[in-house]
Amino acid sequence: MPEPSETLAAEPPTPPPPSVPPRPAEPPLTGTLPPAGPSVTARATLAGTLVSVLLIAAIVLGSRLLRDFDSALLPYAVATVFLAFGVAYRYTVWVSAPGARRLFKKGFGSFFSAANFRKAPTAVPRMIATYLGFQKFLGARSRSRWAAHQLIFWGCLLAAAITFPLTWGWFTFTSSTGSGPGYEMRIWGFKVLGFNALNVVGWLMFHGLDIAAVLVIPGASYFLWRRMKDRGAITGQRFAYDLLPLICLIVISVTGLLLTFSSIFLHGGGYEFLALMHMVSVVFTLIYIPFGKFFHIVQRPAAVGMQLFKYTARQDEEVFACKRCGEPVDTTPYVENLRGTMQDLKLDFNAFVEYCPRCKRVLRGNAYLAHVKKGFK
Amino acid sequence: MMGRTIFIDPGRCIGCQACVSACRECDSHRGKSMIHLDYTDPGMSVASLPTVCMHCEDPVAPCAEVCPADAILVTADGVVQQADTSRCIGCANCVNACPFGVPKIDLQAKLQMKCNLCYDRTAYGLAPMCATVCPTGALFYGTLEELQAERPGVQVADSFAFGDVMVSTGVAMVVPADKVQWPVPGGLPVVEINGVDVR
Repeated sequence: MPEPSETLAAEPPTPPPPSVPPRPAEPPLTGTLPPAGPSVTARATLAGTLVSVLLIAAIVLGSRLLRDFDSALLPYAVATVFLAFGVAYRYTVWVSAPGARRLFKKGFGSFFSAANFRKAPTAVPRMIATYLGFQKFLGARSRSRWAAHQLIFWGCLLAAAITFPLTWGWFTFTSSTGSGPGYEMRIWGFKVLGFNALNVVGWLMFHGLDIAAVLVIPGASYFLWRRMKDRGAITGQRFAYDLLPLICLIVISVTGLLLTFSSIFLHGGGYEFLALMHMVSVVFTLIYIPFGKFFHIVQRPAAVGMQLFKYTARQDEEVFACKRCGEPVDTTPYVENLRGTMQDLKLDFNAFVEYCPRCKRVLRGNAYLAHVKKGFK
Repeated sequence: MMGRTIFIDPGRCIGCQACVSACRECDSHRGKSMIHLDYTDPGMSVASLPTVCMHCEDPVAPCAEVCPADAILVTADGVVQQADTSRCIGCANCVNACPFGVPKIDLQAKLQMKCNLCYDRTAYGLAPMCATVCPTGALFYGTLEELQAERPGVQVADSFAFGDVMVSTGVAMVVPADKVQWPVPGGLPVVEINGVDVR
């Protein structure tokens, strides 16, 4: 039986009023959002300053009033303070945009909701593990990319877990005999571990960064190779955004490994130069994190909030159906949230979110048939 | 409207799906077709409508504006790119905000994908895959002058009306000469179904 003749008509178009000024031929299309206003800039500066000051205080206190602070690592510590400022600044600007602000509120609202926790107590840890830790979604894009990203992720996580507390003077490795092999690891001055530098545990403790480098180098090299060979990846790629982060990771890892190579095989030959190279590459990368591709590290947890926001609404069977075909569009709170975002942005066609994408296209096709060009029927 | 762009003429579309197949061959989203080919009144009419990204200029890229992760970049040439893979969180804001129903989403991969005007080709002066293979010229790639040289007297419109809202786009549609001063109706809001006012 043929589908009933569904006469879906749109309002007949009206000629634009003569007072409407002509649209400029080449509108400025350099970004996706208007620049941050002065209040956003002020808030971001304040947030950045606050976080930086807190970090400096944490460094001073955590290093027992700088008694455990290693002055040789000062450039790294200063870079982390700049990193903290940049991340807090950029994060504040980011969550000030309408779309991100609403997601930020809904995501954290879902995350800290006691009702959600009672309904789905395992949802948050499960999403954090599968989404942020093992990044299952990357496997759905490509297995090789997933594997390479996992190498980089765990390598960088290991490196950060070792180096950040070290440069802040929070970790110390001391030997009561002066030259070992018995060592003590202390955190904030408290002894947490004693080990022999010559056994497996000692080797792992002192080569953690080498292990991190061995993980990162193949992962970053794969992505670099892909960015030179894969035509999909090459499309629209930018040196500073897509290639520079990979080069940074490889330079940091290789110079780090060369430091170990120098101390073991060259009796320290070229160590000072290598140490300087390593420091420059790390400091540059840390300061670059808030402004380039690495900012996805800071943004990505928002995805857990978004997934949780949708997941909990689905648990309550709050599904919004397309007004025309009845197929689910998304969850009802999500649709309301999106409409609110569009209202904030003065996108006055927000009511059309209530139609699924296919119905929007079909309705437009039918309107074209009815009002523009009947001939092709 | 961009200088070189796609001109869509639904009146020429025969629904052959060549554009859908060709789109899959585009290097920037290999294996996945981003063009939509919809039969507007199946069973009653053979009419079909190809839909590529319209690359909205005013308001500029609503999909990018609603993106909470700043994942959609609009390049200086006016092309609205598909979501950056490292930033897209798969929220589907862009999918549902687009008044033309263009972006697609892979929920497993948490990734939005959309027509990017075959940027791997158009950036080098080649026509997009869909326009290259379209046997009837329903999808034409070039400048307005090139279109009019090939089809004398043809007129195009790059403004669409969604209720009271006008959306101007980088991609244009072919319209009859007497309709060129009007915006093309976007089909929404729906005012009547089977003779019943549903407003």
